Amino acid sequence: MVDAELLKSLEAIVGSARIKTSREDLLTYSYDAYVKEYLPEVVLFPKSTNEVAGILKLANERGVPVTPRGSGTNLSGGSVPKKGGIILCFTMMNRLLEINRANRYAVVEPGLVVAEFQKEVEKIGLFYPPDPGSSAVATMGGTVLMNAGGMRGIKYGVTRDYLLGLEVVLPSGEAMNTGGVTAKDVTGYDLTRLICGSEGTLAVVTKIIVRLLPKPKTRRTMQAIYSRIDDAGTTVAKIIEAGIIPASLELMDNQIIKAVEDFAHLGLPLDAEAVLLIDVDGDPEIVEKQAKVVGDFCKAHGARDVKVSQSEKENEQLWVARRSVFGAVARLRPTCIVEDATVPVSMLTAAVKKIREISERNRVQIAVVAHAGDGNLHPLVLCDIRDKEEMARVEKAFEEFVDYALSLGGTLSGEHGVGISKAKYLAKQLSPTVMAMTRAIKKAFDSKGILNPGSFLEYAE
Amino acid sequence: MIAKELQDEVYNCIKCGLCLMPCPVYKQLCYESAAPRGKVQLIKHILEGKLEPSANFNRILYTCLLCETCTVNCPSGLKVDRLLKAMRAEMVKKFKLPWQKRLLFSLLSGERLLPFFMQWGGSMGNLLMGLAPGGVKVGTIPFAKLPRLNKKPFREQVPEVVTVAAPKGRVLYFTGCATNYLYEDVGRSALAILKRLNIEVILPQGQMCCGLPIFLAGARESALGNIRKNLELFNREDVDAVLVDCATCGSALKNEYVHILEERGENADAAKALSKKVMDISQYLDKFDLKGMLKPLPGKATYHDPCHLARSQGIREEPRRLLQQIPGLEFVEMAGADVCCGGGGTFQVDHPEVSAGITGNKVRAIKDTGANLVASGCPGCRMQIQGNLGEEAAEVVHPVQLLARALK
Repeated sequence: MVDAELLKSLEAIVGSARIKTSREDLLTYSYDAYVKEYLPEVVLFPKSTNEVAGILKLANERGVPVTPRGSGTNLSGGSVPKKGGIILCFTMMNRLLEINRANRYAVVEPGLVVAEFQKEVEKIGLFYPPDPGSSAVATMGGTVLMNAGGMRGIKYGVTRDYLLGLEVVLPSGEAMNTGGVTAKDVTGYDLTRLICGSEGTLAVVTKIIVRLLPKPKTRRTMQAIYSRIDDAGTTVAKIIEAGIIPASLELMDNQIIKAVEDFAHLGLPLDAEAVLLIDVDGDPEIVEKQAKVVGDFCKAHGARDVKVSQSEKENEQLWVARRSVFGAVARLRPTCIVEDATVPVSMLTAAVKKIREISERNRVQIAVVAHAGDGNLHPLVLCDIRDKEEMARVEKAFEEFVDYALSLGGTLSGEHGVGISKAKYLAKQLSPTVMAMTRAIKKAFDSKGILNPGSFLEYAE
Repeated sequence: MIAKELQDEVYNCIKCGLCLMPCPVYKQLCYESAAPRGKVQLIKHILEGKLEPSANFNRILYTCLLCETCTVNCPSGLKVDRLLKAMRAEMVKKFKLPWQKRLLFSLLSGERLLPFFMQWGGSMGNLLMGLAPGGVKVGTIPFAKLPRLNKKPFREQVPEVVTVAAPKGRVLYFTGCATNYLYEDVGRSALAILKRLNIEVILPQGQMCCGLPIFLAGARESALGNIRKNLELFNREDVDAVLVDCATCGSALKNEYVHILEERGENADAAKALSKKVMDISQYLDKFDLKGMLKPLPGKATYHDPCHLARSQGIREEPRRLLQQIPGLEFVEMAGADVCCGGGGTFQVDHPEVSAGITGNKVRAIKDTGANLVASGCPGCRMQIQGNLGEEAAEVVHPVQLLARALK
């Protein structure tokens, strides 16, 4: 419980302008991009490690829940305050502290928005590849704690692969540094990568060190258009098998194409059953060659047409359209729950077929978009949360698909996190031993369980 | 109550959050209630009866420029600005506007504007403004940098019908309050160019404030008289177009009259008919090849997109093309040309700190271009930009002023 005395102490730490307690402000921190809502008792906007340390120390002493949050674009309910308490919002702690060209790394505060960071490093010819769909608003801290993936996973990997070091604050209020600035570092356990993807349940991140790449000289975006979605799936599996590595390889089904076109007006083929959006990047000669190879490959595997963008502006428009998918499907139904199961890429076509079968049998509308090259499917379950009967069918379809993905050797969540949306399926994938070890780790970091409680390990309906 | 179709809008917000960073106000304040998503969710709670429409909510509702950036960027297609405008109209019933705004809107909506102006502007207004101590500001704008009032209203300086010998066209000219009372040179410039093109121009007497500043603040009832009078004067079949030199007036005549009447359940046929004829002056002039009648005008110009032109009306290329027709004038794009200038009507008076941050970015973008001329088709933007930029840095003008200066 946050009482008046605690509020006073918290206000003494951040000042009156960076503490919010009005009912209106609390309501605006009761949600993220997932469907469930929980009201916090106070929202704090720290600007320094010291402030974070002071807040956590107080909260820990009193056993008050603390849920860290960035822009609130989380798709699994990871950033909503399931047990009330404090929202620790990092949007005002958002400086880019250093870009080190000689050693190609950067140091940032957690509230810095990913796309703003990317823009800055690209100005000097560097490149930060992790690229979640929400990168235009998502914060660096959020992407680290969720180990966000995105469109460039197939070639460049995910957030984890660029993380060199962290400064974090433990629930006790102690700060610690993990990792460092060197590319190689095997001293001790890899706590950096343990905290990455911990969904804010172990520690709060206050500083992030990431490695950077040289920016690819050029890129080209292609649309391969298919009359049959199965052919699109097969093309993806064959591309991977053939050892071709595009920078991005995304699949959109007909429902997605229509919703996105309705928003973006790019002339996407409304009659196509699927479109593959493919990026190739690198030196101009190589990109030229790769584009041709990929284009021919798509046609050989059933694409009825392959369109190649003629300018960077056109590339950008297509990717803005792809990024808007989650929002655009709201045009179809009011609620969208995003599945995130990931399968071995060779099983992509089978998985897409299975989704359609599950969708029809349960009478649930499911649109499919996928980071296809990673086998990372995003079936978007379109529904209306106000309709209880429909939601029961949605739940059933959801569970069937989870079981199917796991039976193929896939995973519950590729990149959105377990949060509360998939917490109840956790034991389907993790063995009792793994669960026990996970709980022991949680205990070692957060013995009182104040960090993001109600999520992940402890979620109950 | 808010129209049913707008009420349903709140359920289309999937809370993706893509509206956060493009929102100039959120970018300054960095907390959720400043963002469109936050406001839409609060409105949802109010409509569902879960939240009292409190004074605090009212403050949040007005912490918005109505720049429409969220509306054009929303992948779900939410008409965020229309929802907010309708909600403001509801809140005005409960919380009165501050007296300053009520006074301003009663002047803009009534017959008293002219006498007020004649006494204030004609005699002592400019004099008093000149005497104001240095450092006094209206919002973000130093008093000394506010535009001076026209000596005489523009429409009294010109005949109601400006005839030409062999007219090639005939248009109505809606001058708006800004040109009539503050920026007479814009009106003169427009008439000079139209005359050269042999277009007959009618400036109907009795035209009123477009009403948009009034209904954006929520006071829709007060603006109905303006809408009806203007429809009566401008919905005519015997003209080619109704020209507007102000982005805001254009947006009112083209879009908002129809929305307001429809949301009230009234017949909007006249408003729809007018809507089809309304053209921003840049849109109208863009149809002509002006090159032959222009002489070189040395200088470097950049262009700022007003919200009410770029987003409300989709007019982006026409003013740029006009500037590029002027020989000798170098045209250069500024970074973020279509980002709101931070003025937002009375927003800059209510939220000077937020406004100063947003306008600061605009001023920097302009200075980075090295331009000595900034063109923009909105008097609010011009006042905001010139007031914060300073005359020494660059002159802020309407595109037609540059065209008129370049006329042979």
